[in-house]
Parts: sequence; C-alpha cells; structure tokens
Amino acid sequence: MIRSKKGVEISSLLNVPDISIKKTFNEKWLNKKITHPDTQKPGLALAGYMEFVNRGSLQIFGKTETGYLNSLKPAECKKSLDGFISLKPPAVIIAEEQKLKPAIIEILNINRISVLVSDLKSSLLISRTSSFLFKHFSKKVRINGVLMDIMGQGILIRGESGIGKSETAMELIKKGHQLISDDLIEFYLDSNDEPVGKYIDSIKKWIEVRGLGIINIVDMFGFGAMLEEKKLDLVIDMESWDPKKKYDRLGEESLYFPILGKDIPMFKLPVSVGRNLSTLIEITVKYFISRKSGSESFLEHLNREKR
Amino acid sequence: MEKEKIKITNKLGLHARAAAKLSHLANNFNSNIFLIFNGDKVNAKSLLGILTLAASVGNDITIEAEGDDESKAVSEIKGLFERKFDEES
Repeated sequence: MIRSKKGVEISSLLNVPDISIKKTFNEKWLNKKITHPDTQKPGLALAGYMEFVNRGSLQIFGKTETGYLNSLKPAECKKSLDGFISLKPPAVIIAEEQKLKPAIIEILNINRISVLVSDLKSSLLISRTSSFLFKHFSKKVRINGVLMDIMGQGILIRGESGIGKSETAMELIKKGHQLISDDLIEFYLDSNDEPVGKYIDSIKKWIEVRGLGIINIVDMFGFGAMLEEKKLDLVIDMESWDPKKKYDRLGEESLYFPILGKDIPMFKLPVSVGRNLSTLIEITVKYFISRKSGSESFLEHLNREKR
Repeated sequence: MEKEKIKITNKLGLHARAAAKLSHLANNFNSNIFLIFNGDKVNAKSLLGILTLAASVGNDITIEAEGDDESKAVSEIKGLFERKFDEES
C-alpha cells in the first residue's frame, strides 16, 4: 500500500455513521490529515517502544491505553506521551467511550492532536476505520461495463458498445437483481484485498437507453433496484457471435480477468440477436455458484463414469 | 494506435449535448476509442462515461483510437472539437 500525500481529513470520520463518533475534543485540529491507510493501537509505544508505529496513522486508544495513561503520575504520563507525540499521529480515537484525564487531552491539544470518542469496541473500530480508509487510499481503476448483484454475487458484464449491456441490465433489474452502476464503475481494493466496484457519483442511478436518452433507475424501479457497492466475484464478457470462431463447448477453459493485480474468473459468452441475454446471464451465475460450491462438471462426471 | 491531444475550446466544455454528439460520432467507427483526461480513461462511445470526465473549456484531453479506422476516427473527432461541436457560430 502506497502512502499518499493527499490523505483524508479527520473531520470526514464524523460523517461515517459506522464509526459512531459521540464526542470530540481539540476540534481545532480536526482539519489535519490521515496519511496512512492502516489504523493502529499504540500499545507498547506508550511504554517507550516506538518501533513499528506508522507515521500518519490514525491511533486508537482502547481500554489498555486509556487505563495505562490514567494510572500514571503526571510526570510519567508526560514522558510517555512525549515519545508517542514525537511520531506525530494525526488524531486519536478513544474506543468504548473511555475517559482520559483532562490533563492528557490538554497535552494532546498543545501538540495539535484532536481526540475523537466512539462507543465502539476497539476491534470493531479498527475494522471499520480501516475499511473506510482503504476505500480512500487504495489504488483505483475505472472500468467500462455493468456491475450487478445477481443472486448475491458481484457480476461485471462487459462487452462492446451497442451489444446490449444496458438493456440486459434493465431486464435483470426487472427480475429482481440489483444494479451498482451501468457504463462506468470505479474499482478499489478493500481491507480484505478484494476488488470492490462502486458507482461514480456524477452518474449514479442514470442509465442510457438508445432511443430514450438517459433514464433514472430509481424512478423506474425504486430504491431497491440499486446498491452502492459490491465485491467483484465474476466477469461475464459478451462478444458478438463469430461463426468462424471456436467456442468452448465442454466448459474446459478457465479464463481470468485481471483487475488491480487480482485475477477474477471470467466467462466469455457469444451473443447474437435473439439470444435471451438476461436468462443466459442468470444461468451463468448459477453455474458459477454451483462450481464454486464443488458440484462436478460434465467432464468430471464422464471421468467418474469411466472408472 | 492513434493518439492526439487537443484543447477544449467551446464555452460549455464537454456538457451533455456535446458529449452526445461526440459519442454518436464515435459509434460510427469500428475502432475502440477512448478519451483520457485527468488520469481517467473512458470509452468515447459511452455518453455517461464522457460526462464523468467533467472536462471544461481550456482543458487538454487526449483521444486514443485503436482499430482498422483509427486515424479517420481520431481526425474526425478532433474536427468535432475544433468546430466547437457546431454549437457556437
């Protein structure tokens, strides 16, 4: 993961309901930036062992840290914090609404460190702040195609312009599946290192239908038709049917679609006028799920019969 | 592959109507055509894709085409930009 100079302003954490910030201290410094995607609990850093503490990382004080600092005599506490502060942490989040002595908060204030208080447990706080920060810091890539949630799977439908992706997407929405974005999707790696696709704000909920123009999905199909983001499980590449080309007849080929350094399974579907694309895609997804959960393929079936 | 950088000169930049003209023109070619702006690369045949660029007057934008009619595609698209999308006389 690359550190970025841009960073995330600390105040943006206040707008994330998941992180559940209840109180803030030293608000003057909320405009400072977090420049490292990892969230840390300082732990032994407060006792003087500073190795492996990232600069620019958000620091989380759980029961251990607050308890330890509160138990120290003022002079010791100052010494302990001096080391910690020399690493210039952008902000401290306190978990489980633990209380820090006002004197400690004041020392942090002098050193331009804001303090946020959340009611979440440390473990939950770390996982939620990480997922928020990873979304921001991760390498991003924009890809043309339609991203949908079909039977719980994140499916990216690709194909040349005009092959009928948007129309297929609408049929799939009518069948009860959900759309993330039509046309252009932004992918990033989440905190599990898996590619996740997200709509682009300026064109969310809009879908182009040749002949009609650009229509609003939410108006047509309701809020249930859309999802904000989805982990990518499978890519379906539609290509126009070429009679000269040899297509996979036995399902032997394993194709992969490279994205952000990961390989995602892919099926190539030849498409011609009159093929029922939405049903074909649903079946492809069902087949994908059945293969993932270990059911045997036709070739495996033949091999077993032979034995 | 053909590539060319051009400046947007029409007052409104790549707004909806201009983007519609551009994607309409791009759809006439077999080549894969892309617009590159600010590190984003979008398919020139996709209207919504072009709109996400939010490119405005004075910005430099790169046209990239690959296919059997790539040079014709780039020169005609360049022409459309130079004619200011036929919207200002």
